[in-house]
Amino acid sequence: MLDIQHVDKSFGQEGPPVLDDFSLAVAEGEFVSLIGPSGCGKTTLLRIVAGLLTATSGTVAVAGVPSLGPSRDKAVVFQHFNLFPWRTALANAAYGLEIQGMSRAEREERAMQWLVKLGLERYAHHYPGEISGGMRQRVGIARALVIEPKLLLMDEPFGALDALTREHLQGELQRIAESTSLTILFVTHSIDEAVYLSDRVIVMGTHPGRIIREFQVDLRRPRYDYNFRAEPQYAAIRGEIWSLLERELAITPDEPLVDATAGGVDTRS
Amino acid sequence: MNVGRILSSPLGLRLMSLVGVVVVWEAFGRLNPRVASYPSEIGAAFVQLGFVDDALVPAFATTLHGLVVGFAIAATLGIAIGFAMGRIRLVDLILDPYVSAFYATPRIALVPLLVLWVGIGFELRVTIVVLSAIFPIIINTYIGAKSVDRELLDAGRAFAANGWQLLTTVVVPGSIPYLFAGLRIGVARALVGIIVAEMTAAVTGTGRLIIQYGRFFETDKLFVPIIILGLFSIALAEVVYFLQRRATPWARVERIR
Repeated sequence: MLDIQHVDKSFGQEGPPVLDDFSLAVAEGEFVSLIGPSGCGKTTLLRIVAGLLTATSGTVAVAGVPSLGPSRDKAVVFQHFNLFPWRTALANAAYGLEIQGMSRAEREERAMQWLVKLGLERYAHHYPGEISGGMRQRVGIARALVIEPKLLLMDEPFGALDALTREHLQGELQRIAESTSLTILFVTHSIDEAVYLSDRVIVMGTHPGRIIREFQVDLRRPRYDYNFRAEPQYAAIRGEIWSLLERELAITPDEPLVDATAGGVDTRS
Repeated sequence: MNVGRILSSPLGLRLMSLVGVVVVWEAFGRLNPRVASYPSEIGAAFVQLGFVDDALVPAFATTLHGLVVGFAIAATLGIAIGFAMGRIRLVDLILDPYVSAFYATPRIALVPLLVLWVGIGFELRVTIVVLSAIFPIIINTYIGAKSVDRELLDAGRAFAANGWQLLTTVVVPGSIPYLFAGLRIGVARALVGIIVAEMTAAVTGTGRLIIQYGRFFETDKLFVPIIILGLFSIALAEVVYFLQRRATPWARVERIR
């Protein structure tokens, strides 16, 4: 579904490479997370796939078609929601369809269906400034899903939310992912979140951004139904990723990594 | 509600202060009749000018006509030019020197020249209003267009919005608070501009009344157009404030004058 081939990216002419020869193939319906310390280029990669940035070299293809810019088969959910403050939840959710030229009645009907699925029907006519962060990101997710993309790109979508809301939305995202054949590329800082949600976790290193290792997560789905953290595989993968990232952090100890299961922020580095 | 609570409310305090000022002014004016007029005399002058001589309404209507027409032109052109400069680099490069130069030039300095070009009537009023109001509108709209949130532009682009769609769905709504700041400054400048033009060049209008009564030391009459202009400028600010709240229902709009 998504095929990233030999992508290099550096900013400016002389800038150091942010991404170096990055290749990744994601199958249809697969949930893949990118995790790594800040500066590893995971968000840059997501923005390149979204078409918001151009790769210095290399190619990105979605469903076999070269991806040269933003298109309607891809949708993005942003870390800081990026909702339009002057649009109601409904008008925000309908934005992509409006851009595609769909009539008001039809786009609002479709947007409303997603708002209902995400439990937002009562807030459809509220402005983003009037609802909580968790609800805002639900609107952000609705806005992305309304256009029925093949590929959903999520840039630390739950990073700005409190722990409870985050967990709740993680469960909801799983339900959505299971009920559709959506392919998801998910950027996160949280090891727990990556293992919980993903079929595959890609661990990235810095200077330049590159893949260090990838982990297949075979834990039974749906994972919100049982205590997946008690599974030996969860602990094993989590431990391995942690030690890989710790090594990376030793090189670039500028930002602590969030480890939800350890109960907060690791400040050892 | 008892009297004490009414008097200590914001409205009550304002009313008390107003009554206080009027009383002190009245007393001072009656004791020094040659220095300035006082409220009761001004009230009488208002009735005389407004209902007997019929001088106020025609003069004020003349001023208002020029103001409305000129400001409509200034707002339309100013907003269009501001957005064009903010979003199109070439337009910015070409127009910026003129906008910067004119913004700082006192508009009063242009009045004698404008009289030669367009005369002393309606055209002069419209021209001076446009020249007074358009630059703050251009500059604020320009700043608004420039300072649109990059993350929101990203959101628009991510949903494959083209340049025109980005302008209409992201840049313009994002600029509205700036645009209204420009309109608010513009309308105040426009009022100053038209009154000054009428005082220096015109033979009619509210500004002309002020000059006329001033020359004959009729301070009671002189205060009438001044007070009307003061109330009118408050009303204008309220209109802009009202329009801004209507245009931006998502935002808390601060009352700035």
